Amino acid sequence: MNGKKGKIWEENVIIETITRLMVPFIQIYALYVMVGTEGAGGGFQGGVVFAASIVLFTVTFGISKGRKRLPESWNAALNSLGLYLYAGVGLLCIVLSLGAAQYLNYAALPLSQIMSPAHTRALMISDVVEVGIGLTVMSIFASIFFDLAWKGEGKKNKDKNKGDKEVQE
Amino acid sequence: MKPISAMALLFVVFLGALFIYVSEDIPDFGDPYSPANRYVNLHISIDVGADGLEDSLRAGVIPEELSSRIKARGFPSPSETEYSVEEVEGGWDVLIAKEELLYPEPEKYYFLKEEEEGNKLVVYRYSIPVRWEEKCEEEIGVPNMVTAGLADYRGYDTLGETTVIFTAGIAVILLLRRRGKL
Repeated sequence: MNGKKGKIWEENVIIETITRLMVPFIQIYALYVMVGTEGAGGGFQGGVVFAASIVLFTVTFGISKGRKRLPESWNAALNSLGLYLYAGVGLLCIVLSLGAAQYLNYAALPLSQIMSPAHTRALMISDVVEVGIGLTVMSIFASIFFDLAWKGEGKKNKDKNKGDKEVQE
Repeated sequence: MKPISAMALLFVVFLGALFIYVSEDIPDFGDPYSPANRYVNLHISIDVGADGLEDSLRAGVIPEELSSRIKARGFPSPSETEYSVEEVEGGWDVLIAKEELLYPEPEKYYFLKEEEEGNKLVVYRYSIPVRWEEKCEEEIGVPNMVTAGLADYRGYDTLGETTVIFTAGIAVILLLRRRGKL
């Protein structure tokens, strides 16, 4: 605040440096939680951790830079992509087994000709279903955060880099 | 008192009574034979003294009377599918090969137990956690039991949960992302 009216946000070297350092590690940890099935966690938890890294970046560097990293078009696409992945695998089970298997019965995929049904299930769960859940949760949480934080900047201020540091009326 | 307040009071009283009833009905924590953990009583019983009952069970055959009564209750009857009977401590396990595409192994389905009072043989049904515990790793190949159950046994549930989150996000987009419209 600094007592100056109109200045609500300013650079802080320590916070920016720490954030730059932390965000990649948070994202790698989120992928580890999301994809693997050996440890604790799953798609929901991994997605939330990934969204938290985006929120941390946006809080530190301002909403315009945050939106530049996760553009609105990408966000809108990712929103439904995860759900399509999950439901699509389920539908693929029916289609590829010519209607013999149930919805979401992963072992009916032709992949089980190469490996055992149990391994097919494990592969589908860890690499497709959990990633789909994680994508949807991550992008939905980021989308909710951006929508709540957005104040119409970028419309009034044509210079986006400058608009970060000026106050919006 | 307004009629609607009386209705509301009645509703709250009924709800409280229901909660008390349910909490009285919960089995003791950690009881390995409680319905949630082990098996559920089907209330189908047969006299122990019936002729040839024990012999036929030892030979691996379920008497026609029992299987027809199980079928009459709406549960899958052992006589219709492939099954085997194994003698275990305190009773008999009935293993049924269910007609599923890719779960061909016989699974624990019924348990016949001799009741201490009344000389009756009672039919119990194994609850789902028994199969979950015993066959999860072999069927799904995921070492983490929670993830395996979440995405395989309860796949529909998880798909619904993801849809709920997706719907919440779409609702927020519709309500907040106006951009000067309206």
